[in-house]
Amino acid sequence: MASSHSNVHSEAAKMEQIITEFHTKSLHIILESRSPYVSSRNFSGEQILSSPSSSCSSSSSVRPRDKWFNLALRECPAALENLDLWRQSNLEPMVIDVILVQRPVNWDTVNVSPKRELVRNLSSKGRYPFCWGFDQEEIGCEGKSEKIVERWVVKYESRKVRDCSSGSRRSSNNTLSNVYKKSILLLRSLYATVRILPAYKIFRDLNSSGQICTFSLAHRVSSFVEPFTRKEEAEFQRFGFTPVDTSCGRLCISVLYRSSLSDVNSEPSTPITPQVIPDYVGSPLADPLKRLPSFPISHGSPSSLPFSRRHSWSYDHYKASPPSVSFSPSPTYSEPLVSISSPRSRCYPPMSLPPHPPETSLVHKKDTGFDEYCPSPNFTPSASPSPPIYIPGGHLSKGLLRTESAPFSIPAAKLSSNKQNLFPSSPIKIARSGTSKTEKSLGPIQNGATIEKLLSLGKDDSRRYSGVKLSGNSSPQISFSRSSSRSFQDDFDDEFPCPFDVEDIVPNSRLESFDQKGLLSDPHDPGGFFPIRKSQDAAVGALVCMLKKAPPLRQDLSSTTNLSEVSRPESWSNNILEPRRISEVPSGQNAPSLSVLSSSLLSSKTTADALEELQSYKEMKNLLLSQGGRSHASANYPSPAEPSSRGSNA
Amino acid sequence: MNCEVCHLKELEVEHFEIREVLRCILHTIVFHRALGLVRPKDIDLELFEITYVQCGDVEVEKKIDEKIEQFISWVEKHPNKKSQICLSFYEVKNKQQSWFTNKIERLYWEQWYVNLNVIQLPKAHSSKSHHSKVVVDPGESTSEERSIRRAALEASLRDVLFQIIKFVNEKKDHVPPISEGVVYFPYEITLPSSSDSAFGMDMIKRMLQTGHPTMLS
Repeated sequence: MASSHSNVHSEAAKMEQIITEFHTKSLHIILESRSPYVSSRNFSGEQILSSPSSSCSSSSSVRPRDKWFNLALRECPAALENLDLWRQSNLEPMVIDVILVQRPVNWDTVNVSPKRELVRNLSSKGRYPFCWGFDQEEIGCEGKSEKIVERWVVKYESRKVRDCSSGSRRSSNNTLSNVYKKSILLLRSLYATVRILPAYKIFRDLNSSGQICTFSLAHRVSSFVEPFTRKEEAEFQRFGFTPVDTSCGRLCISVLYRSSLSDVNSEPSTPITPQVIPDYVGSPLADPLKRLPSFPISHGSPSSLPFSRRHSWSYDHYKASPPSVSFSPSPTYSEPLVSISSPRSRCYPPMSLPPHPPETSLVHKKDTGFDEYCPSPNFTPSASPSPPIYIPGGHLSKGLLRTESAPFSIPAAKLSSNKQNLFPSSPIKIARSGTSKTEKSLGPIQNGATIEKLLSLGKDDSRRYSGVKLSGNSSPQISFSRSSSRSFQDDFDDEFPCPFDVEDIVPNSRLESFDQKGLLSDPHDPGGFFPIRKSQDAAVGALVCMLKKAPPLRQDLSSTTNLSEVSRPESWSNNILEPRRISEVPSGQNAPSLSVLSSSLLSSKTTADALEELQSYKEMKNLLLSQGGRSHASANYPSPAEPSSRGSNA
Repeated sequence: MNCEVCHLKELEVEHFEIREVLRCILHTIVFHRALGLVRPKDIDLELFEITYVQCGDVEVEKKIDEKIEQFISWVEKHPNKKSQICLSFYEVKNKQQSWFTNKIERLYWEQWYVNLNVIQLPKAHSSKSHHSKVVVDPGESTSEERSIRRAALEASLRDVLFQIIKFVNEKKDHVPPISEGVVYFPYEITLPSSSDSAFGMDMIKRMLQTGHPTMLS
């Protein structure tokens, strides 16, 4: 009696276990074919092909749970999660809703794809619902429509207790082995059925398609759901599996499914076409390490070419910048490529870079950057004449046209006779062509260098000319500024507003006349600011003449003052040179010894004159800035409040 | 133990569709009768949007493919005929050796009859199916007709699969107990004989089978 009692208990326990595992297995079978990305189809197929042992005999590799009902399935995370949440007793039904989620067609987000289905347990235990695994959840949740396409009900209907105690359980039909065998059959048919129902096609399309889908499958496991209305139920067809009778009840599986899912656009939408960002603002020169904004992604090969272009562009301008710098954004793009496209069956949008938008934006940037092109101090003369590789041809021709048509081509011709290699003005003119968007990063440096040079020139004429005798780096700056000043005077729209524009053409003639006549007779002589455009020899000659004709320092302090006034760079003011200072220079005065005079000049110019010059520079600069601001809003010069510091940068 | 018999719905197939249709049906049946530990293998049909399940056993796959090839060759010799393939499950019973036979007794407990009507559209062959009610004319060979036929066949195939599932569900008691270590019940696939009156011979054979387990070639 006791043994039979224990047998009954053990049998009951085993039966209970069979019922529990039956629920588990059925949930697994259903979810693995309704939850995209995870299915045993791939697993088993690969397993068969790869493993040497046949599937039947490889019981050792089968997990213990797989052996239940002799159906070895791949792990289904969705099912496992639900099993963790599903701590129901066997008496509560398990309702699995398969939901078709359709997103609106005009869905313009990127990086959105269903990573996993939504798993919401609405059981009475009050578990919190999870959210969609969208990358951009707020967009993914908007405008989507959900429709239940299948409802599976797995339940154990228990009979009344008194029926269980009857001898029916001892019939051969209700033995454990029989129940187990019939459960196996039932689950086999369930496994085949889930693949015949219409929703399986959606699942397969989601798994196999690598394109963006406007629909997705979700599931919901609960123990209680609101029954369908009569109208809703009319849209479904019912299929019920034959229950498996147990000693105290029966195991039932039934499904309500929509026979036709024709409204589902099973064809995945076309990949999002690359979108051109028309107003992309950003210069690679300003921030070469700046990550490009997130582009709409689509199929396509990784755009290494735009980055190579950008690299070459930046490399031409920044010799110091290593090539790896410009490539830094690209790894950030390759990361989504790796991480997202790896799952084979995921319905992810292809995370490859569209080649066109970066090209377009880079070309756009090149247009601006090219116009902002100012050679860095490190630029060698050999490099400066060569324009960057990807120069917009139109700009190039435009620049050439401009330079050729500009009046300031004259000094270029003049300069050509005198050490033109030091004044490669032609590439500078090319650089200035097109729009006159100033180069931010180089502008201050250049301005600072120019200021420094001019300050040094203001201080010491000899040093000035030594400053004039520059390496190829700085001279382009100066000539650049001069050419820009000329264009500025001539009211060209594409000015590069340089605050140190000075008259140039006339000083050339003045210098020549100066050389010839020994007099600063030209009213447009800038005076203190001798034209740097002239050759060194002419400049030196002019200085000597001036010194010779200068009044003696000792005798006449006023003359000294006049000389200092002469040197005052008030001629830097807007385009008009004040001749009075030049004319103030008394002529015919007996000059003291040149050395004494030069020293006096030097001393007179070291302090106050320098400060005055600086002041005038500032005024001129501000004036030009205001003018430049009017003509070009983008022109933005930082104030040379710290010329020394900027000079140090040069 | 009675022998459960299931006659599946007749399918009208073209010659090139035989292989896929037969594989689908036969593997589905065997999967439902492979009650040992299996790792199911999903197979997508190429001609139809149907996924069927194989039990994953290599031997099963090989045997089924062999029989299908034999059937195809038979169909080529006997074109435009209704044909029947019988998939039988049996139990092996050792019988005492009798004086006229030393065979191992087979006790069939289930038989499935797959009914096919192989039609041939008049493209390469000019013969017409006398069993088929469809009039053979050049209009049928259009792609539109073919697609309609294909869709109808797919629906019919799906019906056949459902029929199998329902039968498996409804009839469970006759299934023998699962033997340890045995993955699938022994089975055999019977093709039509090479005689002209294959249909009649099948009927006779069926009559002989019931109650008289004999070895069928």
